Amino acid sequence: MNEFAQAYLVPDGTDLQGIKDAFEGRYSVTEDEPQELIRRFYDTFDWSLYQAGSLLEERGDGSQRELIWRDLHGEAPTLAWSTDRDPGFAADLPSIPEIDRLASLVGIRRLLPLLDVHSRLISWRLLNEDDKTVVRLELEQNRYVDKGRERQGPISVLLRLHGVKGYDEELQATARLLQQDLKLSLARAELLEEALAAAGRRALDYSSQLDFRLDPQRRADATAKEILLHLLNTIEVNIPGTRENLDSEFLHDLRVAVRRTRSALTQIKDVFAADLVERYKDAFGWLGEFTGPVRDLDVYLLDFNDFQSSLPEALRHHLEPLRDFIHAHYGAEQKALVAHLDSKRLRDLLRDWRAFLEAPVPEQSVVPNAMRPVKAVADERIWTMYRRVRKEGRAITPDSPPEDMHELRKSCKKLRYLIEFFDSLYPKQEVRQLVKLMKVLLDNLGNFQDLAVQADHLRDMAQRMRDETHASTDTLLTMGVLVGHLLEQQHRAREEFAQIFATFDSEGHQALFNALFAPAKRRRKGA
Amino acid sequence: MKIIASYNIKGGVGKTATAVNLAYLSAREGNRTLIWDLDPQGAATYYFRVKPKVKGGTRALVAGHHDLDNLVKGTDFAGLDLLPADFSYRNMDLLLEDNKRPTKQLQKLLAPMAIAYDYVFLDCPPSISLVSENVFRASHALLVPMIPTTLSARTLDQLQEFLEGHDGLGKVNLMPFFSMVDRRKHLHVHLMETLPESFPTFLKASIPYASDVERMGLTRMPLPAYAPASNPITRAYEALWAEIKEGLARSRGG
Repeated sequence: MNEFAQAYLVPDGTDLQGIKDAFEGRYSVTEDEPQELIRRFYDTFDWSLYQAGSLLEERGDGSQRELIWRDLHGEAPTLAWSTDRDPGFAADLPSIPEIDRLASLVGIRRLLPLLDVHSRLISWRLLNEDDKTVVRLELEQNRYVDKGRERQGPISVLLRLHGVKGYDEELQATARLLQQDLKLSLARAELLEEALAAAGRRALDYSSQLDFRLDPQRRADATAKEILLHLLNTIEVNIPGTRENLDSEFLHDLRVAVRRTRSALTQIKDVFAADLVERYKDAFGWLGEFTGPVRDLDVYLLDFNDFQSSLPEALRHHLEPLRDFIHAHYGAEQKALVAHLDSKRLRDLLRDWRAFLEAPVPEQSVVPNAMRPVKAVADERIWTMYRRVRKEGRAITPDSPPEDMHELRKSCKKLRYLIEFFDSLYPKQEVRQLVKLMKVLLDNLGNFQDLAVQADHLRDMAQRMRDETHASTDTLLTMGVLVGHLLEQQHRAREEFAQIFATFDSEGHQALFNALFAPAKRRRKGA
Repeated sequence: MKIIASYNIKGGVGKTATAVNLAYLSAREGNRTLIWDLDPQGAATYYFRVKPKVKGGTRALVAGHHDLDNLVKGTDFAGLDLLPADFSYRNMDLLLEDNKRPTKQLQKLLAPMAIAYDYVFLDCPPSISLVSENVFRASHALLVPMIPTTLSARTLDQLQEFLEGHDGLGKVNLMPFFSMVDRRKHLHVHLMETLPESFPTFLKASIPYASDVERMGLTRMPLPAYAPASNPITRAYEALWAEIKEGLARSRGG
């Protein structure tokens, strides 16, 4: 029996007995005891399952819970398994090959309940002359319950048509009867989508990706506000999840939005008053700072298994005290983070910032770029920053100090953010190619720097573990091996830099940057 | 996929009730279960209210013209499907003869069903024939329900002789058990004490004689589906099913 058979919409006010009567004469109809069903839908905060075209729902009747993962387009087989706990993280899912794909969609995020649908099910069985069931129908009276937002209400009544294997003719005939005689139409939306809409929500309402559709002629200051407002929304929407530490991506996305905010403030030059820029740059600097320590620990925990498996088997268990140490300090750091998140200072900052962003731009502005079309400002800024990246990168030799690499990374990040803010002003394919190119270069520079920082941090931690917990010699030595690995990888990143930068700086890529962003005069020359 | 046959040379010993009730219990546990009614009389088919008809008849079936899956009918019970009987099954012997490997055709037809089912029950016609030889070769367990009478004991001997006399059949997992037992009859009690001594694989569970089983013809459904859970016959079938699964697990281990 296909669990997810065709569903028909039963319009409000339809006489249900009338539907049942329509079958009489052709079949006898028996009605089974009505049943109650609660479905709870799950997804990650950034809708990774829905985005991949699948739904995860839990069905329970109090004593048993079953998880059902199915493809919205019916392309992959539906999987169901019983469970005694919330889905949670990928590691909480059963480790069988079929479910691995689900685990990889979930990634490092946590599966969170979206909302519940409570249903009363009335089952009708159509019986032929031998009193054999040939078709099953399930009338589903549904209500959504959105516990988080304390909302609930009725949603569509559905009539689901289930075939019985080997009785296709009867199934087709019943489908015809529903459509032609009873004028029922197929339900187009998924139950979840309808429930979300009824609850005033919609799927895919969060993504950490930037996706602006900017008007090239719009004033630069107004456009900058639009970009910054989006980033502020991202910051705010991630605060509850960060507070509760539902998964590590809330904090991560929050921090990225903060970095982008600072970058937009300082890189979309001369659109706001200088003192305001300075003030908020510092304020968001503070936000970036107090969210740092927990993020550092998150990174360790996320990488921990990889760290461990990079070690010879005999050493691996010596690393466990490090995990314990991180966990032991995590609580205090998280508490400090929450205190900051709950502080008046942050509340005031976000409130004032929102007030500024939501206020209309002044009719006249003396700030030089404020009233210019955003496309012109974006062109100039990206071009300048590109040239800086090129200059700094070309100056790096095998003997350059790490600080030079660090400076280049900062410039690269600024360039990447600028391109991402303004990508809708440029041809899609070309911009995408450039962003990809930037990512490769940034990964290399990031590895070089982050690995060194991590090695330092690890050394620091070893010191503290020795002082605070009298960590064993074996553990400290094992951490030493890890530091060695990190420095080796860092060394490799340094060696690979020249090649990666050369690719970035190839003639073709230069021409592309030139064509997209260079001042008109130059662009003609280049063409 | 495990294939379990319910078979006896003699008729009227409770073969169909065995196949139908065990298949039901298997499905009730969540196993994807198929019952194939190989008996042209179609009693199992009747119990499930399905018409005894197979598209193209036995000829097309035996020749492998249809995927078996296309001939399967869903029963009224979740997880339990039926491959119906057809009156033309009475000619199955002759049609099997025409095949290249006439004693292995059933096994070949069933092989593709392994993706869809965990257990397949075969309700076999009585007598020893090419059909039964096919059944013996295909089955992981050969259930032999027998009424505790002297004649039944003879048929079990005959069956064993047949199996030992045919290549590759000596290892068939023979599982005889007592069916339609009437404990008021001395002969029944006596045979139940002595017969298993000469058949080490004799199952301990037995099914008492009961009018409840006969009522299956009226209710047209497996007994556990309509009798209360406390019904002694249901309990007897549950014990039998548990013992069969144990036996299958042992033979897999050994």
